[in-house]
Amino acid sequence: MSGSPDARLSRVRAVTAVGKRVADPTDPLGREARAALLGSSGLSAEGIELALTVHLETDPAPEHLQELLAAAGAAPRCHIVLSANVCTAALRALAVAAAVAPSIAVRPSRRDPGLGALLARALATDAAFVAAGGVVACVDAIAAAPGDELHLYGRDETVSAIAASSLPGVIVRAHGTGLGVAVVGPSVAVELAALALARDVIPFDQRGCLSPRAALVEGPASRAAAFALALDRALRELGAAVPRGLLDTGLRTELALYRASLQAVGDFWEGPDHAVGLDPDPRALLLPPPARVVHVVPVVAGVAPSLLGPWAPFLTSIGSLGAGSLLSAVGELAPRARRAHLGEMQRPPLDGPVDLRLR
Amino acid sequence: MFSPADSDALHARVRAFIGASSRGAAAEPFDVLALDLARFQAAHVPAFARLVRARGADLATARSASSIPAVPTDVFRLARVAAHPPEEDVALFRTSGTTQGARGEHPLRSTATYALAALTWGARFLWPDRVALGALVLAAPLSLQPDSSLGFMLDLFARTLDGPASFHVEPAADGEVRLDLAGIARAAADARAAGRPTIVLATSFALVHLLEQSDGTDLRLPAGSRVMQTGGFKGRSREVEPEALRLLLSEAFGVPTLHVVGEYGMTELGSQLYEGTLAAAVSAPGTCAARHGVYAAPPWVRVAAVDPISLAPVPLGEVGVARFVDLANVDSAVAVQTADRVRLVDDGTGQHGLELLGRLPGALPRGCSVAIDEMLGRP
Repeated sequence: MSGSPDARLSRVRAVTAVGKRVADPTDPLGREARAALLGSSGLSAEGIELALTVHLETDPAPEHLQELLAAAGAAPRCHIVLSANVCTAALRALAVAAAVAPSIAVRPSRRDPGLGALLARALATDAAFVAAGGVVACVDAIAAAPGDELHLYGRDETVSAIAASSLPGVIVRAHGTGLGVAVVGPSVAVELAALALARDVIPFDQRGCLSPRAALVEGPASRAAAFALALDRALRELGAAVPRGLLDTGLRTELALYRASLQAVGDFWEGPDHAVGLDPDPRALLLPPPARVVHVVPVVAGVAPSLLGPWAPFLTSIGSLGAGSLLSAVGELAPRARRAHLGEMQRPPLDGPVDLRLR
Repeated sequence: MFSPADSDALHARVRAFIGASSRGAAAEPFDVLALDLARFQAAHVPAFARLVRARGADLATARSASSIPAVPTDVFRLARVAAHPPEEDVALFRTSGTTQGARGEHPLRSTATYALAALTWGARFLWPDRVALGALVLAAPLSLQPDSSLGFMLDLFARTLDGPASFHVEPAADGEVRLDLAGIARAAADARAAGRPTIVLATSFALVHLLEQSDGTDLRLPAGSRVMQTGGFKGRSREVEPEALRLLLSEAFGVPTLHVVGEYGMTELGSQLYEGTLAAAVSAPGTCAARHGVYAAPPWVRVAAVDPISLAPVPLGEVGVARFVDLANVDSAVAVQTADRVRLVDDGTGQHGLELLGRLPGALPRGCSVAIDEMLGRP
């Protein structure tokens, strides 16, 4: 009964329904979520509001739910370890787990629990979830038995360590870290593309594995420079409405070294809540810190493999505006990366885990 | 317009500074020479010129080398850092492989200044007793790694020392270390038979591989022998704590631990730093003031620990990241900013020594976006 397609779908829908309550600032659950995230997520209050109201997957399309169910396995129990993720990631993780198993155990990150504990608690008493056979609990330690599924989310070394210590017979699905890149096609207005990209950079302060860290602009250096300037303006405008959270010492240090490097290599623009670096003649890509910092380079399709090659294993998302040979080349380098239009990179359909590299 | 004569003149001044300062003789003021190098580089090295403009540095009126903007080591990977055109390169040193794409490059239009700096400071800390030494090198010959600054230096040392020299590593395409264990054992046996003190010149990871593979092989060297080790492990061997590695090396080669000397260098610098334990032990046996973990910079290098965020110097004894002003970087960047955590301390002789504390820790993991240190850590 609890493994039937209807029961699985009901449980997933129950997860998204609880998510709707979290998104609602007038719901007690929504108020509690905002208060909790303000203390733990590192995002500003406005950043949290944006995450909960725009980027929490509360209204999935039926066809996407069907894809989620089709991609999910089946097990008596599903265990989730959320060690480092964006604050809303717990909802998708729970939705996937609810499709897999009626019984779910969640181990949220102790340092940055996000919404994991709150969603699990609400689900545990949710009538629709319980009626569909669902049982969920937060745990301090994972005790997966053979036949169970273990879903791991976090830094690669953490994920690898937990996966290595799991019992034989446990089905491990590991989701490590990743990053996104933006591709600006040759015939797109740079102002339009910059504004769209800024909408992908602002959410979660660029800490998500779908967050774009670099913009590859097809064409000459002058076009990349125009794009970088437009992106600086767009991030300044959007940042005024949704300020960046406080940067820890590590991020400020990485930003200082990135700033110094880009001042030597090309150009660097910085606002109170963002930065843009331009390398007009790139020999390699420099990974900027995940703090609303975008590395902009001019690229032609022919050099994409050498330039982007070292990043390819990490690519989880490619955002683009306008077609072109560069987009094709980047797509070939990372065939498993999610594709989205710029401005939509942070709103992937609820069709399974955001990271498709392991599918 | 780049003028070779201007570069040659600066090289000559730097070599004169190295010569005079190493003899304790009067040299021209460090700051004057450093600022002349910076002005030359600002005129001919586009990356440095941009950095100077971005920082609003006024090199024309500056009086202290501390006001020279430091070029981050990453820039050597992203742009050509050289005053001269590529066709005038006589050497192009490259950093070891990187997971972030292109390798860093340090082009040289003359190796004479580099060689003088390396030999002068190497002699001070590796063979201060001026004994005839054989060289047992755990690195590939320079002919097989012509773009390695370390390879260049080791080759220079091996050619300069009076005894026989042998190289015992084959570079492999997969980055692994292929040690010629039989050859190493033979060289050690020859040294024992001849009673010839020998210096082992090696990377730390090559030494770890040797210790793992030696399995009872007699590697002992005659009295007066010594070991120079350099570099981290970079995922190329298991990591061994410095003290533990020193003890293992001391036991394997039969040398006192004070004779195991650490070297600190990087492709982006023209000079090197050394632990002073051997020099102190040789010059004043039994009263060694120098200690392991503290590296001495030559007089032609000024090192500062700077705040990693403001890049301003921190007080003596506080932890910062290393910023070097290296006069041997004539045609590239006289000031180099690293991400290595360091602390300047009194080295026991009244001079300031450099304590190495590893790379800067990355930002606190929040979210699932790839962190910089995570990407750097990939094999």
